[in-house]
Amino acid sequence: MGLTRRQLVAGAAGAALGAAGIYELADKLSESPSRSAAAVPLGPRPPEQHVLDGVPVVVENGIQVVVPPRHHLVVTATIRPGVDVATAQPQLEHALRELESRYEQTPAGLGLTLAWGVPYFDRYVSEAAAAHMPFDRRAQKPALLPTRTFPSDPDGTLLEHNDVALLIRSDRLEHIEDARKTLLDELAVFDAQSLRRGFVGGDLPRRLAVAAGVPGSDLIPENSELFLGFTSTQKAGLGPRRIANFETLGLVELRGGYFRGGTHMHLSHIFEDLEAWYLNFAFQERVDTAFRPGLKVAENVQTVPQGPKQVASTKEVERDFKLAGRFGHSASIQTSSRLLQDTTGEDGTVYVKGTAIPQRADFNTLDNPFAWSADPTRDQVVSDAAAGVHFVVFNPSSDDFHRNRLAMDGVLPDGTTLPLQPGARGQGFNSVLRTTHRQNFLVPPRRSRSFPLAEL
Amino acid sequence: MRVRVLVGIAAAAAALVLGAGASPAPAAGKGAVCPAAWKAGWVKLATKIGAPVYCPTWMPNPLDAKIGGQYEDIYSIGKDRSYLVSFLSHGDLGSGDVHVNFRGYPGRMTIPKCDTVTIEGNRVVRGTTPCFADANGTLRVGSIRATLYTVNQDADQWHLLYAWHLAGSLYTVSEHVIPPYSYPQVVHNLHKLMHSLVLVEPAQ
Repeated sequence: MGLTRRQLVAGAAGAALGAAGIYELADKLSESPSRSAAAVPLGPRPPEQHVLDGVPVVVENGIQVVVPPRHHLVVTATIRPGVDVATAQPQLEHALRELESRYEQTPAGLGLTLAWGVPYFDRYVSEAAAAHMPFDRRAQKPALLPTRTFPSDPDGTLLEHNDVALLIRSDRLEHIEDARKTLLDELAVFDAQSLRRGFVGGDLPRRLAVAAGVPGSDLIPENSELFLGFTSTQKAGLGPRRIANFETLGLVELRGGYFRGGTHMHLSHIFEDLEAWYLNFAFQERVDTAFRPGLKVAENVQTVPQGPKQVASTKEVERDFKLAGRFGHSASIQTSSRLLQDTTGEDGTVYVKGTAIPQRADFNTLDNPFAWSADPTRDQVVSDAAAGVHFVVFNPSSDDFHRNRLAMDGVLPDGTTLPLQPGARGQGFNSVLRTTHRQNFLVPPRRSRSFPLAEL
Repeated sequence: MRVRVLVGIAAAAAALVLGAGASPAPAAGKGAVCPAAWKAGWVKLATKIGAPVYCPTWMPNPLDAKIGGQYEDIYSIGKDRSYLVSFLSHGDLGSGDVHVNFRGYPGRMTIPKCDTVTIEGNRVVRGTTPCFADANGTLRVGSIRATLYTVNQDADQWHLLYAWHLAGSLYTVSEHVIPPYSYPQVVHNLHKLMHSLVLVEPAQ
């Protein structure tokens, strides 16, 4: 019988907010990656909050793979009642700079990203927001939209209304804890609503899930980056450094430029049914559903090419569906997530056709669904560990993310809807996924990350 | 969420992945015999199909392997003499399902293919797939070299399954991964089952 998360955190049960819980086991089961100093280019921090420096790239199966930070924490929060955001702005910025003085913005140091939700802009800075919030030219809507549900979401999916989300990433749990204490405990401006913890890579998904007794965990391949067994951080499958910025592709009107260097972030929690995945889908069917039907992949290979040459077109996805009665997760999303032609970014960078736009920052979790919640009844928090993913992705706008997510459900950008029932087996990963929570956020550039617009 | 595919066994053969055939020999230790209370049913089965069958001398709690007994769920013999004998307990007091299947395919070495029928909206999608797939290691017990399959179809869906050869025939035993038995416990149960098997010959 596996351990419950409660048993694993027994030694720290009195400090629920501070307990890294089961995730502390990660460093006991497997050493933190040693990142070569040479791989960490020290210098001025990038204007973007969401960009990490010093992220190494390794070669697996002949494919370049980005090695993300090992540990992740997302804190969602509301602004504490009575806090004046203009007064709190320099306090938060000071705390952030204190942290930056201690750590580089690298996996070995600390990645900090503050993202702000619609409720913050509506309740605290509505006048300034009306003048400065970026506008999605293609969608003819604000770049930040209230989140929505998608066809394969279950009825109970909660659309959240947090003021802010803090994405904290590092190879070192103690760095994450330092940031959490600094920003939540010492700085009395936020009321945490949830703590969401997790990990990526190494041999952690299998080892931690097995240690926690998650059903189906014994079938996770050794050394797989994520619970579902396939690598997702192929360098060619991730958006390049600045492509998800509001200004880069010209999708978004910056209206004065306050948010230049910023981006959009979607955050969701999704349960993954590992038993259904590994006991019902043979390897080739897992390839079919994760990538595209009929894709030839050697048995038990985890890292599959996902570069521009492998991108599926809308017509190919439709043809696959007609032939096989199914579509692949990657293939369907690629119809909206990849550039349809060579594109020159605002800074002159040329992005070739097929380049990925979203920058993924998702991580596996054993939270059920959160490590901690201010309202465990609302969030249906359970102490037993459960396999899932805290899905974090940066896109140039809410609409851009929504297009990708709809494509995942077979609603393609040309208007075609592939006729499958929500969650059907033929609908990619969807049959083994269950989304519990969603919210969209705006990520300001570093210079205006602290209570954006409050100074105006 | 448990995804179900409606399947049936088709005659077409899949690629053979199993190890080489073994000489006729029981898996259980020397002197082990099919329990007296169960033996008649297994002998009758062997006689009916005209080939040896494997009788377990141990079953996971609370099951027994008495054909025609309280836990028998399926007793099926095909025109090709292949058989499926299934034992099931629903655990009416909330203890959960325990489900073990025994199969044999006399004169057949290849993994059969199962029909798949999935209902997608108003559309019926038909196909075939190997009845046993995703080999995940082997187990040697006496002269048996069995392969563990983790993705199985038909009555073996959601089961872990060991398959092996004897004298030109294919045999399997499987158990459902479902509470009260987790994956490691089912693996353990199957190891005990494999070690408990004794060969039962047709009656003269």
